[in-house]
Amino acid sequence: MMCSFSHENTFGSSTSRITVIKEDTFGLDLPIVCWHCTPCNAIRNCSEKALERSEEGLIFVNEKKCVKCGKCLEACIIGAIRLHPERNTPLICDQCGGKPLCVEKCPTKALTYIETEKQQPKLPNQVLEEALRRWGIIA
Amino acid sequence: MPKYYGYAGKILRINLTKSQVKIQPTEKSLITVFLGGRGFNSKRLYDEVSKDVDPLSPQNKLMFATGPLVGTAFPLGARFNVSAKSPLTGILGDSNAGGHFAAEMKFAGYDQIIIEGKSRKPVYIFIEDQEIQMKDAEHLVGKDVHETTETIRKDLGERTVQVATIGPAAENRVLYAGIFANLARPAARTGMGTVMASKNLKAVALKGTGSIEIADPGRFWKIVEEIEEETYVHPQYWPRRVMGTTRILMLADKLGFLPTRHFTSATFEHAAEVSGERLAREYNVKNRACFSCIVPCSRFYVIREGEYSGLYGEGPEYEALSSFTARVGNPNLDLALKAVNLANRLGLDAITTAECIAWAMELYEKGELTKKETNGLELKWGNGEAILALIEKIAYREGVGNLLADGVKRVAEKLGKGKEIALHVKGLEIIQADPRGLKGYGLGYAVASRGADHLRSEPFIELSDDPQKGMEMFGIPEATLRLAHKGKGKLVRYFENWCAIVDSLEVCKNLAENMELLPFNRAAEITEAATGFHFTEKAMFEIGEIIVNLERAYLVREGIRRRDDYLPARFLKEPLPNGNSKGAIFEIEPMLDEYYAERGWNLKTGIPKAEKLRKIGLEYVIQDLKRNGIEID
Repeated sequence: MMCSFSHENTFGSSTSRITVIKEDTFGLDLPIVCWHCTPCNAIRNCSEKALERSEEGLIFVNEKKCVKCGKCLEACIIGAIRLHPERNTPLICDQCGGKPLCVEKCPTKALTYIETEKQQPKLPNQVLEEALRRWGIIA
Repeated sequence: MPKYYGYAGKILRINLTKSQVKIQPTEKSLITVFLGGRGFNSKRLYDEVSKDVDPLSPQNKLMFATGPLVGTAFPLGARFNVSAKSPLTGILGDSNAGGHFAAEMKFAGYDQIIIEGKSRKPVYIFIEDQEIQMKDAEHLVGKDVHETTETIRKDLGERTVQVATIGPAAENRVLYAGIFANLARPAARTGMGTVMASKNLKAVALKGTGSIEIADPGRFWKIVEEIEEETYVHPQYWPRRVMGTTRILMLADKLGFLPTRHFTSATFEHAAEVSGERLAREYNVKNRACFSCIVPCSRFYVIREGEYSGLYGEGPEYEALSSFTARVGNPNLDLALKAVNLANRLGLDAITTAECIAWAMELYEKGELTKKETNGLELKWGNGEAILALIEKIAYREGVGNLLADGVKRVAEKLGKGKEIALHVKGLEIIQADPRGLKGYGLGYAVASRGADHLRSEPFIELSDDPQKGMEMFGIPEATLRLAHKGKGKLVRYFENWCAIVDSLEVCKNLAENMELLPFNRAAEITEAATGFHFTEKAMFEIGEIIVNLERAYLVREGIRRRDDYLPARFLKEPLPNGNSKGAIFEIEPMLDEYYAERGWNLKTGIPKAEKLRKIGLEYVIQDLKRNGIEID
């Protein structure tokens, strides 16, 4: 909720840059957020070149160029992009300019902010599988 | 449609008989007098479900409602109320649950969803913002809570859909079946799932893309930050994170109010073996939180060895854990986890189920119930096999389960035995705290508007046994001594009003009330900051007063009087045999007298006086009760 409020001034999961998949059966909540991959499939798939990369390497949307086709959504390999429910432009995590609010406000300090070059992020199903193995639910 | 801050702004009415959908704006008159959630539902139940409505007929209405702080970053949980006339008690039915369903309901655009009529075929409702679909549920019939939730998510191709569903118990018309969200978040009391089943409705699935606006973000965040600071240093913060409410089991045992073997003992010699502490040490692997909550008190457990090795799930909380251990005399924690899991999957109210089993066990142990009557089951205290078998039999209404599926009041009447040990008030089974060792809670059970229940008042302050608090709050030192009966009328009235607003704002009672993070004045401030409507501390107290009185009027219209506000004879006549509350009995008469006087109700009948109802703006209720032939002072 910090994410939608800081970016949009309202509370809503559909305007958050983070998607949380709830695996109720296994008691896990798996957040998905843009990794700013290099190379990025979504950039490659954008015919309008509306997805650009900042000097820090962060991907952002040039809303003037965006034609709201949603191809980036399909192209993203981890499903981290969603379209704004009214503007229909892609919502991509901007890391709050280097000080992510989600990390700052996380009640259990489950989120940490690190450079991805040092550690490869994990896909949600990898996280799920590792947890189930650790708990002895799967061998 | 007018857009209100804090609220989603719309009320959805679905008629399943006619397949009609109506979307209306949330009435401003409802907001300022009833806040949301339980308040909205109780008001509409009073106005729209009259005395002559059979709870399992299409005329009954099933209502889901949530509150103005839900779906925001407000950190004390996000809950919803489900209400209807109860098939178990015949009076006001409602139940409340957490998880993520309520927030999604707000994002879909609705403060309240009212379901009327009855579908010809089994259906489930899929709500995606303004689009409402009745979807075929033929393939879901007979499926348990887990299977149904997963199948719906798969059918819709959406992992993020929130589902509230019933299990087979509701379909088989067990009178105490619940509605389950996020698999293990039950709105289980008073048979709301049974009402849902009677409408041929298997589940409500939601997905919303809307968002909630706040009237005064600056003020809102300031209060939220204050609450956050207090929460993280609160003495209950870590115990709740580690154990949730299961931490109560050892406390109840130590203080001598842990209902053991059907309330024949107040301590359990195996308490440590089935405690929250043991669960945390040996079983729990992860914490989970409700939407936006900063105290992740729900726990995920895994059984790694033994007969039930490989069983895993979320929970349990104190009520279910204690129900399937101490109450039925079971010392086996693994078996209790299996029993809770089974009751959840089949869609049963764990408290009522355990009371029915414990009642049958007591009769069996006394030789008043034969093996023939129990279908060959050896109903000795703690017989695990029999406990699991009875849960299944109840859910599928097989043999003795068919009798127990009607609740302990009806089964005792039908068999003509065990009436004096059928532990219920107004047909709702008593929870896991012996009222002889907690007098304020006991009075709460007696007068609660949904029958024996602690969540209508939860006067936790008496657990402090600190007379200073009683003196400060009520001018009566005994009010906050758990074994004293004096001052409990004042205590229960105050806490009932508090619980009513917590339930109507739809935040968590553990945090808002038990941890004292949302007293009346702060509730007024945050609601004003979120909604832009003016609220004061006094107004909040009065909203609680209005809700409690309106619910009482509903009960009065259904025929409830003082004679129905009694606890079972066991608590009034048998002194507690052991433990740290040994010798205590429950003094009902002086407590009821004091409570009625505090409330402004007639001492002989328990009917609210006209003067009282008029004072809180319920003039129309006076007229309505008179039209129903009820004499009011």
